[in-house]
Amino acid sequence: MSPDDVATDGGAATSAAQDVTLYEDSLLSVRNLDAGYGDLQILTDVDLDVTEQEYVTIVGPNGAGKSTVMKSVFGLTSHMGGTVTFGGGDITAERPEDIIHLGLGYVPQNDNVFSSLSVRENLEMGAYILDEVPQDALNEVFDRFPILEERQTQKAGTLSGGQQQMLAMGRALMLDPDLLLLDEPSAGLAPDLVADMFDRIDAINDAGTAILMVEQNAKEALRRCDRGYVLVDGKNRYEDEGTTLLNDPQVRQDFLGG
Amino acid sequence: MGASSTYDRARSQIVEKPMTAVLGIIAVLLVFDLVRQLATGNLTIARMMSLVLDGVLRGLVIGLAGIGLSMTYSILNFANFAHGDYITAGAFSGWATTYVIAGGFGSAANIGSLALVGSGGSVFGGALGINAVQTPLAVLAGLVVSGVFTVALALAIDKFIYKPIRGSGGIPLLITSVGVAFALRYVIQFVFDSGTRGVTNTGSLPGIRPNVIDGTVAVTAHDVLLILVAGGLMLGVHILLQRTKLGKAMRAMSDDEALARITGIATERVIRSTWIIGGGLTGVSGFMFVLWKGTISWNDGWLLLLLIFAAVILGGIGSVYGAIAGGLVIGLTASTAVIWIPSGFARAAAFGVMILVLVVRPQGIFAGRSTA
Repeated sequence: MSPDDVATDGGAATSAAQDVTLYEDSLLSVRNLDAGYGDLQILTDVDLDVTEQEYVTIVGPNGAGKSTVMKSVFGLTSHMGGTVTFGGGDITAERPEDIIHLGLGYVPQNDNVFSSLSVRENLEMGAYILDEVPQDALNEVFDRFPILEERQTQKAGTLSGGQQQMLAMGRALMLDPDLLLLDEPSAGLAPDLVADMFDRIDAINDAGTAILMVEQNAKEALRRCDRGYVLVDGKNRYEDEGTTLLNDPQVRQDFLGG
Repeated sequence: MGASSTYDRARSQIVEKPMTAVLGIIAVLLVFDLVRQLATGNLTIARMMSLVLDGVLRGLVIGLAGIGLSMTYSILNFANFAHGDYITAGAFSGWATTYVIAGGFGSAANIGSLALVGSGGSVFGGALGINAVQTPLAVLAGLVVSGVFTVALALAIDKFIYKPIRGSGGIPLLITSVGVAFALRYVIQFVFDSGTRGVTNTGSLPGIRPNVIDGTVAVTAHDVLLILVAGGLMLGVHILLQRTKLGKAMRAMSDDEALARITGIATERVIRSTWIIGGGLTGVSGFMFVLWKGTISWNDGWLLLLLIFAAVILGGIGSVYGAIAGGLVIGLTASTAVIWIPSGFARAAAFGVMILVLVVRPQGIFAGRSTA
């Protein structure tokens, strides 16, 4: 691989495409990933890292392949090249039911709860791979999202959008993952609930879970995260600390609406 | 004011939902005719109750068999047309066992004839004295074998025929299942021959005939057994779906298979469990159907399948509770239709009711695509 493979100080990576820092001891590392759906290639040569307990977001225009990166990490796309490693092990093109055992949780965008199951049953399904429902994890989820405890017997399909999003996160947290992939957690939320959702994600991160998030609400996401990637046409464009990207005039003009 | 607004609402109902209005009028007419028949003595209350009981029992068979069909539909996303012939296969495997045991393993008749359920009129169930009271062990063994055999059959067919093409969608699977249906049916006909034969000794079957107002309603031991077995199994399915991890995973998978896989649910294992539970219920329903009606034929399941489809669609395809409710509606309709129309039209009436209910509630009684 390139000389970039050696860890650098995470410094000035800005304008040129592909100019991203590569980390050596990251929790999740994506290298030269090519992936898509069927024969259609969406991602080209994507590099991405998430280190322990880090909060990373991917932003970019519609159709840039942001969600595809997440799905590829979780083995839900057609793999065409490159590698994905997690916790030091190669998980390239592994099946989702195997990946979940390794401490990687995924909350897809929209329709991410079992709508005919009760709230509690949804959470129990989150711990399907365990022999018993971990009571402490369940209590922790209820502490984090008290509304879920209140509504635990209600069918998930009857919850509001924000509550469904909390339930989907709660379900992923049942296994206490090391890394949580969040696909557009603020999508479809009323504006006054968006800040609350981001606060909750901050809290999850503060408790030690690394986050990799795709967000349409790019400014807020970059403000909150440790590091961000800007993805364009399925390729890396920029990578830097969130606030640096947020204040970069080029990024602002091209992707954040000035 | 009140009267005119009621009138307006009624009128807008008729304009917006003409079929619902027509349906309401037909229902009123049928009730009037029922009252007239009861008043003139054309129909006794006891006879009506007998028809209702018959309908409930038929409905339990249809519902029990329908659970398997609905489960495989909701979890595998395809309508298994071979389901009817699973019923027949289950019935024959169970009855072969019952014959062999009741025939003393060859002491009462040629063991080959016994194993072929009296193929070609070689031995009759009546002569062997088969019924749930005289030969309880033979009947129980047959019941168990019918379930176990159908599970094995369903798993084998899934493994070698359905699984390899599961990725190509519902339509190829459906067409393949039609082929499986024909293959199974004609293998059964080839092995057991095409004669319809009586399998039970109903003459000495105990039962009760309680007096009801103007007559008697006969209830046999087999009627009671059918209610116990079907009711017990339905309750078991309910507990499985609501209380166990497997049942919850099955419901989760019927909700959203992709999400189930992301959540880490072992989908192949759930599919296998679905065939095991669905197959077992289907085989048992075939055995009980034959025990209840007293005759067995190579196309029993196929003929029943049309009613099962009607029940499952009526209940909301994919819903287990819908299959039970739909089964009862179809069974009751098929049995009580003779109050108003000649018995030859009973099946047509069952389908008529299905169509009419779907006109009013297109998604079925229990909105479909959910095992819950």
